[in-house]
Amino acid sequence: MDVFFVLTNAITVACIYGLIAIAVSITWSSLGLINLAYGFVFTFAGYGAWLFAEHISEMPVLLAGAGIAMGALAGIIVCLVVFIPLHDKPNFTTRGMIATLAISLIGSQSFLMFFGPRPKSLPDLFGFWTVDMFGVTLTSDKIGIVLCSTLMLFVVVRWMRGSRRGLEIRAMMMNPHAASIVGIGVRSTGIYVMAVTGAMGGLASVLLSQTYYIAPFNGLTPLIKGVSIALCGGLGSVQGAVIAAILLGLVEALTNEFLGGQYVLMTQFLVIIAVLVVRPRGISGLLDKAREQ
Amino acid sequence: MTEPTEKSGYTWINPLASWGTATGNPAAPSVPVPDIREDWDRVTGYKVPTYLVGRLKHYVIWSNHGDRLWNRTRWWPTRRNLLHVTGIYNRKTAIAEKKILDRRPIYWLICMVLLALAPLVFPASMQNTLLTAGTIFGIFAAINVCWTLIIGTASIFSLASYAVVGTAAFLTSWLSITYGVPWYVLPLIGSAIGLVFGLAIALPALRLDGFYYALLTLGLNELCRVFFTTSKEFGSASGGLYGADSFIRESWDPMVQSYVGYYAAFALLLGSLSLFRLINGKRLGRVLRMAPEKREAFAAACGVDYKRARIVIFIVTSVALGFIGGFYAAQYRGVAFSIFSFDTVLLGLAMLAIGGIGKAEGAVLGTLVVVFLDKVLLEWGPIRHFLVGALMLAAVLFLNNGYFGIKKQFNAWRDKKRGEWRSTRTEKGGEALPEEATETNDKDQLYFRRFDKIQRDYLKKLITPEIIEEHRRQPLGQHSEALERVLLYFRRAKLEDKYALHRAGPHGPYKIIAFSGSRGVSPRIVDDREFATVDEGYHGVFMRRVHDLMES
Amino acid sequence: MTEILKVEGLSAGYGPLRVLHDLDLVINAGERVGIVGLNGHGKTTLFYAIAGLTGWQRGSILLAGNQIGRTRSQGAGRYTHQIVRQGLAIMPQGDEIFNGLTVEEHLDSGAFTPEAWRTRKARKERVLDVFEPLRKLMKTPVGRLSGGERRMVSIGRGLMTDARLYLADEPSLGLAPKIGRAVMEALLKIDLQGSAMFIAEQNVALLEGRVDRVIGMHAGKLKGEASSASRLIGGH
Repeated sequence: MDVFFVLTNAITVACIYGLIAIAVSITWSSLGLINLAYGFVFTFAGYGAWLFAEHISEMPVLLAGAGIAMGALAGIIVCLVVFIPLHDKPNFTTRGMIATLAISLIGSQSFLMFFGPRPKSLPDLFGFWTVDMFGVTLTSDKIGIVLCSTLMLFVVVRWMRGSRRGLEIRAMMMNPHAASIVGIGVRSTGIYVMAVTGAMGGLASVLLSQTYYIAPFNGLTPLIKGVSIALCGGLGSVQGAVIAAILLGLVEALTNEFLGGQYVLMTQFLVIIAVLVVRPRGISGLLDKAREQ
Repeated sequence: MTEPTEKSGYTWINPLASWGTATGNPAAPSVPVPDIREDWDRVTGYKVPTYLVGRLKHYVIWSNHGDRLWNRTRWWPTRRNLLHVTGIYNRKTAIAEKKILDRRPIYWLICMVLLALAPLVFPASMQNTLLTAGTIFGIFAAINVCWTLIIGTASIFSLASYAVVGTAAFLTSWLSITYGVPWYVLPLIGSAIGLVFGLAIALPALRLDGFYYALLTLGLNELCRVFFTTSKEFGSASGGLYGADSFIRESWDPMVQSYVGYYAAFALLLGSLSLFRLINGKRLGRVLRMAPEKREAFAAACGVDYKRARIVIFIVTSVALGFIGGFYAAQYRGVAFSIFSFDTVLLGLAMLAIGGIGKAEGAVLGTLVVVFLDKVLLEWGPIRHFLVGALMLAAVLFLNNGYFGIKKQFNAWRDKKRGEWRSTRTEKGGEALPEEATETNDKDQLYFRRFDKIQRDYLKKLITPEIIEEHRRQPLGQHSEALERVLLYFRRAKLEDKYALHRAGPHGPYKIIAFSGSRGVSPRIVDDREFATVDEGYHGVFMRRVHDLMES
Repeated sequence: MTEILKVEGLSAGYGPLRVLHDLDLVINAGERVGIVGLNGHGKTTLFYAIAGLTGWQRGSILLAGNQIGRTRSQGAGRYTHQIVRQGLAIMPQGDEIFNGLTVEEHLDSGAFTPEAWRTRKARKERVLDVFEPLRKLMKTPVGRLSGGERRMVSIGRGLMTDARLYLADEPSLGLAPKIGRAVMEALLKIDLQGSAMFIAEQNVALLEGRVDRVIGMHAGKLKGEASSASRLIGGH
């Protein structure tokens, strides 16, 4: 019974971090940018949703929409500031990574200046109700979180597979030079990618603030977790990220159960290192060097 | 000067024809020959615009003497020169001169002397703040110099340097508090901890690509933070672990304590700079300069064991970082959790990015800027970190490699621009390009090429169907002036520009061959065209030379 | 006759290297023009300059009356997609190809304009009529195809839109002579309908007498035009 409770917890959290992991993963593989500004995107979306709830409406759907929109906006900001000026410059990967880190530094300091260090909390999105399923009590927010994040993931994957933009993004992942010859604008595609991945970060932010608060420096943990999952799953692979999210969620649940909460990060990292030592490009990382610059 | 339309009306008459001794055509339609002096005046005349070319000699040159040419100051027991000086001869005056090729040691010396003397000139009101900031600067600069060795020289993008320092500092503080280990042992224990830590995190570096490793170490840093802040032994309640033994006695005057701290940190910085010099400037650093990122395979094919070199540097540097950690604990009597925080890593990376990754001077300058913003301008509040972030962003967006990369970047940009401008205003072939001219020592070459270009341009005007037809009719013998001038030019050419005829049988056919121009290398056949008679062959060679002339 | 491509005073190069020297060139609607020349004499650079992919360039390039050439000294490829959207189809030299996409996705990626995307089924049919062998490979990742098939995919991708100007850069390069001839055959069979095609080729025999004009290229300059190309390369 207790195990199941921990397990559902882990799955819920894995869903949220999985969203960020997939965002990191897609950004890296299509743009070649290691985006460590998802902490900023996360907090930006959180504060955006909070302002929306304070001043406009507390309706759950609108609130989630606001979070997603703010996340997309933050993604576009990062794209405009980092990707567009840097993408054809030398040392793009290193410089891009440092630039996104700079953005997260600037971002957290500005949030500290504007909103102060006091955490904010969002109204509940899913209300309070519980479902008994096979003897396990599932609370509304858990079900909501799992449903929302799966839905988002499903939509994004569908969009990547089926639409013209998705095809453009995938083409750019494989051969940026040929992509420009086919008429795919690297810059405009970059904006789409960053908007979509930012939207995923925004949704994750709104979902996570059901359990946690919004504070200037709260973007760090989701970023680290997301990045770890993305690493473990293999950058550039959506399936890998999903598998890794579930795996790390399980590890978290088991550690919580048998060893204690403070060992969670440690066991997770041991698992990640073990996975990476066996498969240096993650569980299902791109085997051929599709994104070597 | 005759008009081009009148060219065709002209008939040349062989002066020997009336004597009956002519070998060429008795008469042939030809073209009148314009006066070459007009071309000469036109080409050599003053033309606007002119552009300044060449490069500014901005390095210091002082006089040399033949006697002193080999007389150099050396570091005493070695044969190493004090400075990298070279003797040159002035191009114009041929007088012996000396110039310093590498002036960085002088700048380093000046900066280090300034740092050593700085506490004497600190304003009294700020003395304490500045000394504290200076101490922090010394320690952080030492850490960053080691870190830039890992990121720059060893190309291992590790973000766990502060984690190594922090772990060593925490463990040594804990040992000192629990077992009363004296201060002078702490850096040594720290080194051992650094070695273990370095070995542990070097293992994944063997397998992982650069950015996977960066993200992994970022996570490791977070792991250390969580571990130390949550465990009771390391004082999870008090925000840090304090009470270790220190070389700074508490009984001393506070000012003396500050001074000792400042100079201890300064000595630490000097130590890490020597480590940097020792690794980056010697064999390991040179080996790795052969194996830059993305060219590792090539370096490995040359026999460079870059992986081993990288790991050695990584481990040596980890030991140094552990030493700094122990030193840190001995200096501050302990350590705070903030050493593990993400912001510390960010600030450290900002220091490297502002100064330039891979350069010791970059690490020191970046640390100076960031520490000044962070620790001296305390009353500015949270905007300090905002400024640091903005500086970091600006450095990364506009500079290829931080402040100390500006010169290289600017020079590359200027060369590119210069090349573009030059290539839009000069024609290919013929005259030497202005920049090339300033670099060529034999100026005769330039005048010859210029003259040759004038002459070729002039001769190109003479190549008309008339003279080709005249040559076809009689390749040998007396020709009209226009054709004769062209032929004279052809005769005077270098051997490698010339052709010959190869006779396949006793009476032909003939094929055109080209000389290689170097002794022992046989001529090559130019194409498969065969000429039945030798005269046709002559004309074939002529046509080929005309073609070459028109192309040049 | 309308001018599809009008190049005036085009110079281009990479850094200090100047590859093209003051080119002037006109291609009319319905024309198939070949450009021949040795390796390294600027054929590919000319195509790259038209697509805005060279390091720097100067001079005017009019594509169906729109100025697409601009004086620029950096940002290679930054505006290529806009130029491509104005009706330029590039079939690049070698295998500029997305290895992981299937043939079908690859052809889809050629249909970048909205209305081409809507009618992409019909367009794919049209391409498959030209390149019959691709029909049964539609679901195969492009990375697994042979060189000739890849080239067909690459050319087919260029045919997915209603381009005003097709640039085919050495379509037979690196292929077995028979396959190269077949690819060229297919390229020459395409119904131009008011657009134009510009083919770069080293092997003059493949173009001889089958294109409207042949232009020679030597050391970054255009060397005369001829309907029969043999004279141009006879020199070397």
